[in-house]
Amino acid sequence: MNWLPLYGLFYAAVTLYWARVAARENGDVETYFSAGHSIAPWISALVIAGASISGWALLDGAEQIGAGGFGLPALLQAGIALALPGVLFFKRLWLLGQRLRLSSLGELLRAYYGSEFLVAFAAAVAVLFAVAFAGLQLAALSRLVVLLTGGEVSLPVASTLLAVVLFGYVVIGGMRAVSYLGAIQAVFAAVAIVGFTGFALIGLGGFGQLNAGLVALAADPAKATRFIVTGVIQFTAGAGREAAAGHEGTALASLSVALGLMGFQASPLAIKMVLSSRSPRGLAAGQTWVMAATFGGLVALCVACLGAAAMVSSGFGIAGLLQSVSPWFGAWLFIGLLAGVQLMAGLGLLTAGEALVRNLYKPWFHGRLNRRDTVNLTRIVIGLLLLASVLMQNLTPVTLTVLGSLALPLAFQLWTPLLGITWLRWITRPAAVTGVGFGIAGVLLTEPFGIAVLSFFGLDLPWGRAPWTIHSAAWGMAANLAVTLLVSAFTQRRGLGQEAQEMRRFLSEILPAGSRARSLRSTAWSLTLAWLFLAVGPGLVFGNYAFLHADGSWALGMPSLWGWGLLFWVAGVGLVWFLSYKMEMASPLASEVPAYEPPPRLQADQRQAEHDRLRVLIFTCAVGFALVVIAALGFGR
Amino acid sequence: MAERSESVPLRQSFIFDRNLEVQSMSNRGPNLERNILVFAVWAVLGFLGLGIFLEGMARDLWSLSALGIALIVAAFIAHIVINGIFNTGFTPGETALGIGAYGFLGLVFVLGVASDGMTIADFYSGLTLFGVLAAGFLAYLLTRHGLRNAFSQFHIKPASEREAAK
Repeated sequence: MNWLPLYGLFYAAVTLYWARVAARENGDVETYFSAGHSIAPWISALVIAGASISGWALLDGAEQIGAGGFGLPALLQAGIALALPGVLFFKRLWLLGQRLRLSSLGELLRAYYGSEFLVAFAAAVAVLFAVAFAGLQLAALSRLVVLLTGGEVSLPVASTLLAVVLFGYVVIGGMRAVSYLGAIQAVFAAVAIVGFTGFALIGLGGFGQLNAGLVALAADPAKATRFIVTGVIQFTAGAGREAAAGHEGTALASLSVALGLMGFQASPLAIKMVLSSRSPRGLAAGQTWVMAATFGGLVALCVACLGAAAMVSSGFGIAGLLQSVSPWFGAWLFIGLLAGVQLMAGLGLLTAGEALVRNLYKPWFHGRLNRRDTVNLTRIVIGLLLLASVLMQNLTPVTLTVLGSLALPLAFQLWTPLLGITWLRWITRPAAVTGVGFGIAGVLLTEPFGIAVLSFFGLDLPWGRAPWTIHSAAWGMAANLAVTLLVSAFTQRRGLGQEAQEMRRFLSEILPAGSRARSLRSTAWSLTLAWLFLAVGPGLVFGNYAFLHADGSWALGMPSLWGWGLLFWVAGVGLVWFLSYKMEMASPLASEVPAYEPPPRLQADQRQAEHDRLRVLIFTCAVGFALVVIAALGFGR
Repeated sequence: MAERSESVPLRQSFIFDRNLEVQSMSNRGPNLERNILVFAVWAVLGFLGLGIFLEGMARDLWSLSALGIALIVAAFIAHIVINGIFNTGFTPGETALGIGAYGFLGLVFVLGVASDGMTIADFYSGLTLFGVLAAGFLAYLLTRHGLRNAFSQFHIKPASEREAAK
């Protein structure tokens, strides 16, 4: 008997049950987008942590360790790297959202910077997460469905079925369904990670046998490099152009991958969830105990175990495990994996749909759109995004992969405008806009997408993916930061809008630096920099040999880098706790946040302007398309 | 806040448009949160327990089946603890689902025994499951409602009798 359809039906029924509950709570369409900002803090914490890890940890993290070994220890610190941005931003963004009654990242950026470019960029990042990043994971799940049903269900049918379930609960229940179901999905996904690990260890004969297998691998000179970081940096031309010595897992590769991971909690998805919460009370606990400690521990222990098991024997990969266990366990683990992926995909789709309709289309082209039509249009857009994702999963998987790899590094470029809003008042509007523009260029030029597009037009870059073994997130941020600093220095006299001034005034009033936090500031900087240096930065080279005996054997009975990773995961939890609570960066706040009342303004009729904008958009698209065709015909190959 | 006016300039219009969702705390909040926890508990402990129970049946290992039953009992205990935290009991839907599932599985078990297709380990695994669940159910009723009131949970008088008693 095939248990997968039975469990799948049960899962679909549960999603529809919660969609119904959410739709009834929504009161028609009134609270579709943000659940009336009433999501409980603990639900919000679970959803953010679950979406941050999603299916990525199992599908990609374990596979990367299985294929490349422990040479990229940043993967073991994923929980900490994902938690740090939340500690830095969430509390302040929630307060600003509450004060100005904002409900998405796009709205925050528009209110503070008044930049349509930044709003459009945030929307593009949300779309990338919803279509490509989530699409990649859904495609992997569809392949697993094909495998588990012995080919009885084809790939297009599997991807369509998964999309239909996702579409159903997102369009019916909106943010409430995504949140309520998301909390259950997060727990289920976490337990699935433990379950996969348990079965892998049982299959191998225990943790001792796993490490015995790793010892045998390390004894093979051809595979010994899988257990070390190959230096601080290697000045190669990048993947696809020049191979690195040993492998590409240098210390700076790790640091830049960690930076890429830090993009998720600066993305519109995570911020949407934060702004939909009714209170910031759960932020510190969520980032410290749920994200860094629990989910971080799952990655550092369980996902690493799974990756190591796949290194020892390829049969212990996710697909192999699902096939080897009993069908009821296989179905249960698969549904857990599906829950994790759909959690992130659902949040991504809702955020992307809102960003496109409510943050772009409505203010630019159709200001008279009423509430019901806005929600219905968003539902249609969500359907179209999902359709695009399914089509790409089946017809253009390579393009999907290339686009999916852009999501995290591009989201990381949002750090500079977010820092400007929350902490660094000297970042001016022109600096943030130009910086993000250069950051995007930096990412695109070091990712296969940009390289392939330029190559299509006949321009071959002399480098490949991740030149100098540095991930695109860091290249983008280097350009982003440099330009932001320079432009900020020259544009300090430019004033900010009324809302931005109110945001600054409000934050400085409601969050005066406490004496304890002020006195610990230098300690916080020192601890953070030390952790970054040793856990994911150049200090990783010490981890190669930190837990080795003089004869080269493993002092902890496990690879030295794994032990190093576990040590700094524990230290990282301490760091997140210290920053959240002691430095009060994410600590609970009891103050009331009254709504900001903007002064009344004279309002002009926008219909003609909206009509003109639509005409300009169509004309620009047509000219752009023509130019691309001409350039491709003239210079392309 | 009200729907934004059509004549607001682009940037300002957006600022006023952001607040169409009234900030509200759902009246059903605690119940919803309880339901989320109940679903999470059963998705994890319940289904894992079921899987281990079936594994024990497949391998003819009573001890493994007993471990699965222990997990199912743990799911019940977690459910009752959640009920206690939220100061509520099982909902009518949960009761109906639980009794229905118990009856259905009992029927399957009886049919399995009658068709003579069960091993001794399977037989004892089934008996243990139904025995433990029945004992647990009674224990729950007795501890929650007391000996006398536990019986009253099932003894529902027709309206005419209630009127007559008055």
